Amino acid sequence: MIKQGTLPLDSYRMAEQAVQMPCYICGTDNTYDAELCRQCFAPMALAHQANAQKVSPKMLAAIGPSGVGKTVYLGMLMDMLARQPDRLQMTARGAFSINLQQTAASALARGEFPTKTPSEPDRWNWVHCQVRAKGDSRCLDLIMPDMAGEALLEEVDHPNTYEVIHPLLSKCSGALIMIDCTKLQTSSLDQDYFTMKLLSYLAELDENPKQSWAKRPIGLILTKADECEECFLDPAAFAQARAPGLWRQCHEQFRNFKFFATGVAGGCAYRVRRDGRVRVPLRIEPRGIVEPFEWLMKQVKA
Amino acid sequence: MRKIFKDRTLCWVFLASLLAVAAGLLTRSVTLGGLGLIGLAVLALRRRRRQFEAEVAPVSPVPHPPAADEEPDPPARHVAPTDIDGLVGEMLKQDRYALLLRRQLVGNLRPNQRRAAREALEQHMALVPEGEVSLGGGDDGSGDGREAPPPPPPPPAKGTVCRVAGLFLDRYQVTNRQYRHFVLSGGYEQMSIWDPQILAAVLDFVDSSGHPGPRFWKKGRYPAGQDEYPVVGVSWYEAAAYARWSGKRLPTEAEWVKAGSWPVPLSSTSHWQRKFPWGDTMDRERCNLWGSGPGRVVAITEYPEGVSVGGVYQLIGNVWEWTTGNFGGAGDSQGRDLTLPTPMKSIRGGAFDTYFENQATCQFQSGENPLSRKHNIGFRCALSLCDIAGGVHASDPAEADEEASLTEGVTV
Repeated sequence: MIKQGTLPLDSYRMAEQAVQMPCYICGTDNTYDAELCRQCFAPMALAHQANAQKVSPKMLAAIGPSGVGKTVYLGMLMDMLARQPDRLQMTARGAFSINLQQTAASALARGEFPTKTPSEPDRWNWVHCQVRAKGDSRCLDLIMPDMAGEALLEEVDHPNTYEVIHPLLSKCSGALIMIDCTKLQTSSLDQDYFTMKLLSYLAELDENPKQSWAKRPIGLILTKADECEECFLDPAAFAQARAPGLWRQCHEQFRNFKFFATGVAGGCAYRVRRDGRVRVPLRIEPRGIVEPFEWLMKQVKA
Repeated sequence: MRKIFKDRTLCWVFLASLLAVAAGLLTRSVTLGGLGLIGLAVLALRRRRRQFEAEVAPVSPVPHPPAADEEPDPPARHVAPTDIDGLVGEMLKQDRYALLLRRQLVGNLRPNQRRAAREALEQHMALVPEGEVSLGGGDDGSGDGREAPPPPPPPPAKGTVCRVAGLFLDRYQVTNRQYRHFVLSGGYEQMSIWDPQILAAVLDFVDSSGHPGPRFWKKGRYPAGQDEYPVVGVSWYEAAAYARWSGKRLPTEAEWVKAGSWPVPLSSTSHWQRKFPWGDTMDRERCNLWGSGPGRVVAITEYPEGVSVGGVYQLIGNVWEWTTGNFGGAGDSQGRDLTLPTPMKSIRGGAFDTYFENQATCQFQSGENPLSRKHNIGFRCALSLCDIAGGVHASDPAEADEEASLTEGVTV
C-alpha cells in the first residue's frame, strides 16, 4: 500500500545540497552530505567543522614505518592530555576525534597493543582538537591523522598511490617522525633507511622555497625507548651512533629538528595466539610522550 | 712510585732489580735479567694491589650517612670484633636488628640490647598473620579502572589459594639512607651474601660514576635531600643481597599480596580480600601514581592514608617492589600465557608512573629482568616469624615471655 503525504519543500536544504563542499585536505569538491572525501577519503567532518567554526586548523603528521608505534603514541598523548591538562590542554572537536584515544587506551589497559591501522585511508582515525598551553590564551586548532605505515611506505615508493598523503603532508605545519629504537639497537638499518626515504619525500614536497619542509619543525621520536635505557639519556647521541644516515640527512636538509625518546610500556613480553606471536605490554608507564608534542606546538606557534 | 722511595726496603729492592736487569742485559745472563724483571713485577703488583685496596676498602659504617653531594665521607670508626656492645650498637644503627634477633644471636645480647632490637623490629616492621590468600583471581586486568566500584557485598576472592606463614614485613620500602649503610659496610664486596650465579656481574653493579651502588647514585652517594626516598636503580640481586645483609629476605608473592589485601575468611572454603590496601575502590589521594602525584618518587613517609590494615605503607604506588617470585611461564596472574624475552622476577604494587589503576592493585603482577636497575623499582624486606627467636624456643622463661609477646596474636 502506498501512503501519500505532503513533503515540505525545504529549498534551503536543496540549496545546501547543491553547494559543493571542498575537502579540507585535498580540496576536492564533495556533496554536502558526503561522509568521506570521494578523492582522498579524509573525513568531511573536518571541512564542516572548519567551516562552521570559522577556523583554519593547522595540520600535524605523525609518520613512521609500520609497527613503530604511531597509534600508541597519538592515542596515549591524547589520553594523557585529556586526563592531566597541566602542561597542555587538549579538547577534542567532534566525537570522531576521541576514537583514536579510546582505541589505544582501551587496548593498553587490557594489556594489549592496539591493532594495526589498516592501509585503507577510509578506516584511519582522524583527530581534530583544540590545544592550549598553560598560561597561554591562544588556542591552536589541530588536525592529526593516524596513518598506516604501509600506506606511507607505498606512497613514498610510488607517489600518488594514496591521494590523501601528498596533500596532507604538503599542508602540515610540522611533523613527528617516529623511529623504532629497539631495531636501531639491534643494528638493523631498515628504520634508518625508511626514515631517510620519508625525509627525502618531505624535502621534495614543496616547490615554494618559503614554505619548504626545510624550515618546518620536525620532531624525531625514538619510540620504545623503555627497552633501551641509553636512548633516554641522550636521544640525539643515540641517533648519531645508531642511525648515522638519518643524522646526517637531518643536519643537511632541515633547520628545525630535535630528537626525543619515548616509551609507553614498562616492559614487554609475547603472547602466542592463533594468528601468531604478538607483543604485549606488561605494564603501562608513559615516558617522554608530551615533550615532543609540546616542543612542536611551540615551534608551530612561533 | 713515591711510596716505593718512602719505604727504604722497597727502595733497595727497586734499585737491586734495576741493577739486575741492567747486568743481565750487559752480560747476556737470562737468570740475572729474569730475577731483575721478577723484582720489578712484584713491586708493580704490590702497587696495583694497594691502589685496589684503597678503592674498595670497606669503610666502617656511620649511623646516618650524609647525603650532600660534595661532603666528604665521615671518618671511619673501627669497631673491634671483641667489642660486642659496639658491634650491637652499630648493627642497630644500620637497621640490622633482624640479624640480632636470630635465635643463634639473641642469647648473646644483654636485656637492654634485646629490648632495643625488638623495639626496632616493631617500629620498622608490621606483622602479617598466618593465613590463606588468593593469587591471580582478584582482578581480571580488564578495563582501565575508571568504572564504578563493584557494589557490596564483595564477592569471595578467586584464584590460586596459598597458605602463608606468619611474617614481619617492612612498613616502608628500603631507603637510600639504609642502603648506603650496606654500601659503606662493603656489601658489594661481601661475596657470601650474593647469589653465587651472579658473582660475575656484581662488578657491573655500579653507580653513574663507577662506584659500587645503585645506578642513579654518584660517587657512592644518593642525591642530597633524598635520605628517606626509596632506593631505586637496584637489580633483584642487589635487593636480595641487601636483605641478606640485614638479616631479612625479599617477600614472596603470596606474602606481599597478603600484606596488602589482608584476606578475611568468609567461610572454611572462601575468603574476601581487598583490591587495594585501603579497600576496594581506587582513591588516588592515597597513593603516588601517574596523575595523582608529583610525577616522581617521593619519600616513604608520604601518603599515610594509603596504609594497609596491618600498617604497611606505600604498597601501592611510588615504586614497584621486587619479590622472590618468578614472572611468566605457563600463566601469569592475569591468566595470560606469555613468552618472555628473558627470565623475569615478579614486581608488584605499581609506581609513580603507573598509568592505569588496574595495574596498581594488590593482585596485579608485572615482571622485570632481575638484572634491570630501573628508576621505578625498589624493594622492601620480610622476615619469617620462625626465623627469629620465638617463645617456644627460648631457654630463659623471662625471655620466652618477652618473645611470646612479640608474636602474640599472629595466628588468625
